[in-house]
Amino acid sequence: MTESAGAKARAGSAIGAQLRRIPAAQRRAAILTAVSVLLLAFPLIDRNGGDIDAAANACAFATLALGLNIVVGYAGLLDLGYAAFFAIGAYTYGALSSWQIQPQWSEFWEPFASLGLVARIHAEGVPDVVHMTVSFWLGMPICGVVAAIFGVLFGAPTLRLRGDYLAIVTLGFGEIVPIVARNWPYMTNGAIGLNGVAPPRLFGYSFGVESWPFYYLGLLMIAALIFISLRLQNSRVGRAWMAIREDEIAAAAMGINRVSLKLLAFAVGAAFGGMTGAFYVSKLQTATPDMFMFPVSVMILVMIVLGGMGSVYGVVLAAIILQLLQSWFLQDLTGWVHKLGHWVGSSWDVQLAQSISGWLQRVDLVQSIELIFGIILVTMMLFRRQGLIPATRPTPALTLEQQTAHASRGGFALPVRGIEPKKAEPQRAMIEIRKLTRRYGGIIAVKDLDIVVETNSIVALIGPNGSGKSTTFNLITGMDEPSSGKVFLLDQDITGLPAHLITQRGIARTFQNLRLFSNMTVRENILVAMHSRTTTGPLAAVLRTPRSRAEEREAEERAIEIIGAFGNRLLPRANQMVKELSYANRRRVEIARALASRPKVLLLDEPTAGMNPAETLELSDQIRSLRTMGLTVFLIEHKLNVVNDIADKIIVLDHGEKIAEGTAAQVHSNPQVLEAYLGRKAAHA
Amino acid sequence: MTYNDVLLQQVINGVSLGAMYSLLALGFTMVYGIIELINFAHFNVFMVGSFFSRWVLKLTGLVGQRVALTGFPLVGTLLLALVCVMLFCGLLGVAIERTVLRPLRNVPGTAAMITTIGVSYILFNVILLTQGADAKNFPNPMPVVVWKVSGADLRLREVLLWGISLLLMGGLHFFVRRTRLGKAMQATAQDQEAARMMGIEVDTVVMTTFFLGSALAGAAGLIFGLYYNFTSYVIGYTAGLRAFTAAVLGGIGSIPGAMVGGVLIGLIESLGGQLLATRWTDVIIFSILVIVLVLRPTGLFGRMIIRKS
Amino acid sequence: MTKIHRRQLMMTTVGALALATLAGSAGFAPVQADEKLVTIGIELPLTGADADSATRIKNGAIMAIEDANTAGGAGGYKIAVTVLDSGTSTAGQYDPAQAATNAKKFVADPNVIAIVGPEMSGEGKAMTPILSAANLAAVTPSSTNPDITDPKFAALYKPNGKAIYFRTVTTDAYQGPNMANYMRDTLKVKSVYILDDSGAYGVGIADHYEAQAKKIGMNVMGHDQLDPKEADYTTIITKIKGLNPDAIYYGGVAQAGVKVAKQIYDIFPTVIKCGGDGMVDGGILSGVGFPAIEGWYVTQASPHVMDDAAMSDWVARYTKNYNMTPSDYAITAYDAVSVIVDSIKRVSASGQPVNRDTVRDAIQGTKIDTLQGPVSFDENGDMLNKVISVFEIHHDAGSAEDDVQHQYKYIGVAPESPTS
Repeated sequence: MTESAGAKARAGSAIGAQLRRIPAAQRRAAILTAVSVLLLAFPLIDRNGGDIDAAANACAFATLALGLNIVVGYAGLLDLGYAAFFAIGAYTYGALSSWQIQPQWSEFWEPFASLGLVARIHAEGVPDVVHMTVSFWLGMPICGVVAAIFGVLFGAPTLRLRGDYLAIVTLGFGEIVPIVARNWPYMTNGAIGLNGVAPPRLFGYSFGVESWPFYYLGLLMIAALIFISLRLQNSRVGRAWMAIREDEIAAAAMGINRVSLKLLAFAVGAAFGGMTGAFYVSKLQTATPDMFMFPVSVMILVMIVLGGMGSVYGVVLAAIILQLLQSWFLQDLTGWVHKLGHWVGSSWDVQLAQSISGWLQRVDLVQSIELIFGIILVTMMLFRRQGLIPATRPTPALTLEQQTAHASRGGFALPVRGIEPKKAEPQRAMIEIRKLTRRYGGIIAVKDLDIVVETNSIVALIGPNGSGKSTTFNLITGMDEPSSGKVFLLDQDITGLPAHLITQRGIARTFQNLRLFSNMTVRENILVAMHSRTTTGPLAAVLRTPRSRAEEREAEERAIEIIGAFGNRLLPRANQMVKELSYANRRRVEIARALASRPKVLLLDEPTAGMNPAETLELSDQIRSLRTMGLTVFLIEHKLNVVNDIADKIIVLDHGEKIAEGTAAQVHSNPQVLEAYLGRKAAHA
Repeated sequence: MTYNDVLLQQVINGVSLGAMYSLLALGFTMVYGIIELINFAHFNVFMVGSFFSRWVLKLTGLVGQRVALTGFPLVGTLLLALVCVMLFCGLLGVAIERTVLRPLRNVPGTAAMITTIGVSYILFNVILLTQGADAKNFPNPMPVVVWKVSGADLRLREVLLWGISLLLMGGLHFFVRRTRLGKAMQATAQDQEAARMMGIEVDTVVMTTFFLGSALAGAAGLIFGLYYNFTSYVIGYTAGLRAFTAAVLGGIGSIPGAMVGGVLIGLIESLGGQLLATRWTDVIIFSILVIVLVLRPTGLFGRMIIRKS
Repeated sequence: MTKIHRRQLMMTTVGALALATLAGSAGFAPVQADEKLVTIGIELPLTGADADSATRIKNGAIMAIEDANTAGGAGGYKIAVTVLDSGTSTAGQYDPAQAATNAKKFVADPNVIAIVGPEMSGEGKAMTPILSAANLAAVTPSSTNPDITDPKFAALYKPNGKAIYFRTVTTDAYQGPNMANYMRDTLKVKSVYILDDSGAYGVGIADHYEAQAKKIGMNVMGHDQLDPKEADYTTIITKIKGLNPDAIYYGGVAQAGVKVAKQIYDIFPTVIKCGGDGMVDGGILSGVGFPAIEGWYVTQASPHVMDDAAMSDWVARYTKNYNMTPSDYAITAYDAVSVIVDSIKRVSASGQPVNRDTVRDAIQGTKIDTLQGPVSFDENGDMLNKVISVFEIHHDAGSAEDDVQHQYKYIGVAPESPTS
């Protein structure tokens, strides 16, 4: 008995092991093929038009979920009014193909008629009118573009807001669009609904009221959107979105233009929604404003949350589960519960049983589905924020050779081709700050600061806590705007430029409190930083043009080279999530990341914090070798031994003002410095 | 009624609406001030409050529109209902915070906000499924008393609504300014870390905030019922969104801002409906929300939020 | 029958879509051969905001089918029933997409020979192209938007040329305008302000009302739309009070109707209040309560027969069976089934096979006496008999506050053309 059970278990584990031995990629491909075959065969197996119709509707919601996934899952922008884009697409296609808009016929329409976009309708006794007959295959992309334009229009004023404000503003847009649809009868026929939206035609065959062509079209759309989503995810654009999602400020410091990338996410998401709107309305042949209200937006959000934010397959799976739950399973479940109630009621003739029976027979799970949605949202957030199928990104394995790179002693093993800056003329000041002042209300954080950071030198900024060091860094890198004063980079005024442009011009920084993209791998963190030195756009990323492929390959190589510069510290961990690294290694990733943007000057905010003396020495060597390489380094540091060791010049701040400047020896003998650091008494003691 | 009387009447209507929005907006603004979270559950705590107070009034024997009380019984009944609903909603708010929001307090991103949407949905549907979808008659114990102000009507219920709202807001102001816990709230809103280091129990402060905000929402629920004589499962959504707009307009995090913002939104709604058309009310209000957020994110009275970087 | 069986099989494989579909096809159980059976489909939004009115309609239809089966069926056939729900949580009320899905489910089931429903015109628009392709007739007890049967839209809603959308109610094209006539002639209303609830039904009836009111010379002082989720209509009612019209006409259903009635009573009680059949609802009576709801004039798009002596037995049976009072649309639903049953009988008597085509043709030629009186259809499917009944809400202390039958007092018929 036990023996055979044990044998079974062994056999089971053996099969499990065998399964595990199949590479993940092959396993995924096998599952994908099986699912695709079943999905394709579905209408042939189940010939009930109603079921196929429900499945086609589920396809529409899956594509909506994929669209919202770009916005919420990739870019981390919580959009609570996504149904608005669905509506815009639906009404755009309605306007292009239904009997709704019928202007009077005139010469103007002739060319359109010859293209087959409109038709002339003749009726007795009234002037001829125009009937819009734009083909579905043209109409659908138009709907996508129109929705994308609205996405940009809605997004533009709001994307500078914090994420939570953005949520409420999108919710507002989600409310406004159906209201406009309702109050604009010329375009939408108001609440009564569009009449006669044309179904797609293909080679002269009209889809009409058949469900199966829509089902296959829906599948095709899902496949296309999955393809686009995956290609985007693993590209320069997708990484930038994820960086924004992880940490906006750090993303800006990596040279990512947050506003334009967020708008791009909004536009792509909206385009998906708009195209789905065209699909949905051409299938239904009518549309009313009630079809696009808040509950639709929430339902799509529930799909994302259930499937896993950013997880392409998870989102599709969740969309299908929830749709089928609604249209198929819950009705049956309710029937069973009622039968159970009936049975309880007829089995026991006591008060309690009767009341339980009455309650059971009243339960309506279909009615309760929104309650179920609410419960899904809360439980997923509390217990499984990554969703049913967590988003995992395929990462190419490193070769053995790459892994055996050695740790460097005495600084980086030069040359590191991927970091080396162009030689700047040594006589010019790399960074010059003039009369820089920053006030917060009545508090002056930085006052009349003048600093020169010479090209190809190491300058250290020291001072007690709260003396304005990090504020100075923020002012230089565009994270904060000065109240007055100027910042120059190689004699060019960069005051008030947005952070990402400053990074593009050649200033990279690290942060005192570490601002890594912790749910991305080390490699991805480095790749994000190359954003401003690469050019692949969304279209090239989806099409994988030869140029974008070459660029991606080069970026990968550079990333490995930069990671390799830190030797065994980072190289074996290149594909680990940053949040899994030790504190010192995260500091190294930050420096590596800053270097990856190919800066002229590197701003390091307490780079050795949290490192032991040996590690500190190693890093000091590395910083020195950066100078050898031609970089300029400006650092904030508390460990005076490090500063004394590597800095060409030391600047001391106190209460936002510069109190001393010079070599280590000069600064240490300065009485003001002693006073600031040790207090008045100590200075005189 | 002359046109001016109509306008005066609309101002009276608007201020009444606004008083309710203010009470609701306070809950948003306090929670946001302390933990930077837009609490969507707040919408429906208000709605649940109005159902709960309907139930309390029913227990006292008040049903329908035809029982009018005067004098001590009236005051006593209303006071009882007010205390009960504020306690109930306050505890509901604390329960929400303790069970589902506290575990997420230090989770970055939108997790907590999505959770509040989920909680809001749960409250909404529990009421829908147990109470039904139709609008419910709300007991109205108040006698019909109307004062004529020029040609406009000022009714007892409006005066009562203004009175209760002012009293509650005054009470809140006193609590925040004068009591130990209130000062701890202020400190926590300024800088949570520093407050913690000063020995302030941040958990207690957050709980108190949820209690007070939710209790005020409950009071608003009772007032809503008394004012409109009905309640329904859908009232939370529209009122909640407008109240949130009020909080943003006044300056999120600012208690006087929420009060003024509420009244302003009420006036915009009533005068906008008079001068334009009610069908565009939501569009007007959301436009205000967007414009304020874009041009003046700190609102009218908002305190400067120093970016933590 | 087969439907439930198949679904149960599907349930055993929750989560595995593919397996579920396999089971779906395998699970088709053949209909028992010893009894001739036809199915009438019922399509109503039984979930969400429309659930209450839809349930009353459903019960009316079910009662008619049970009565027919008790009386021996129709022309030798027993009548089975398949009820499909068009309400979804996505929409929170009726969902046209779900209605289209349901239409396809009916089409796919060869036993379904006619449908009772839908309740809402929004559903009807999505269903009719599908039903027309299968020549499957629907008899709606309550969908009143005229577009669907308008010959102007024939190419959209009956592409195969034959009417498949029949109504045992008249359309908004009569209900609103006739009430305008009645208001001018009988209630002596000279000026009116129109409100609707932004829903398809409310906008339709209010627009038709407005057109006729203008045509017969009433002063239409304004027409505004209400957001049904909004709590506060005091702004708009104060605005109306400032204009001081003789009457307010409200086109819409209960969700906004309750609040409209309450707040008109608070702010502008002296105005004459009128509405369509959306205001005939027990939920409105209990939600608004007396005396606030007192004095409203409302219409029904069917003759009023509920108070007839012959009807009292029917009403008593309905009330007893379903533990709720019937609405007039419960009667029109009963009539809709009667129309279908009668058609099956006639087909069977003529010796033709009972199928969708023959039943549709028979429905077209209907000429029977139903609960509401004689019913026959024009070539578009509209009822020839276009009676709009007017009621006044008047408190009857002897009945429950939400008793639709006793709190609405029948006061006459709204004329199709004005007297002058």
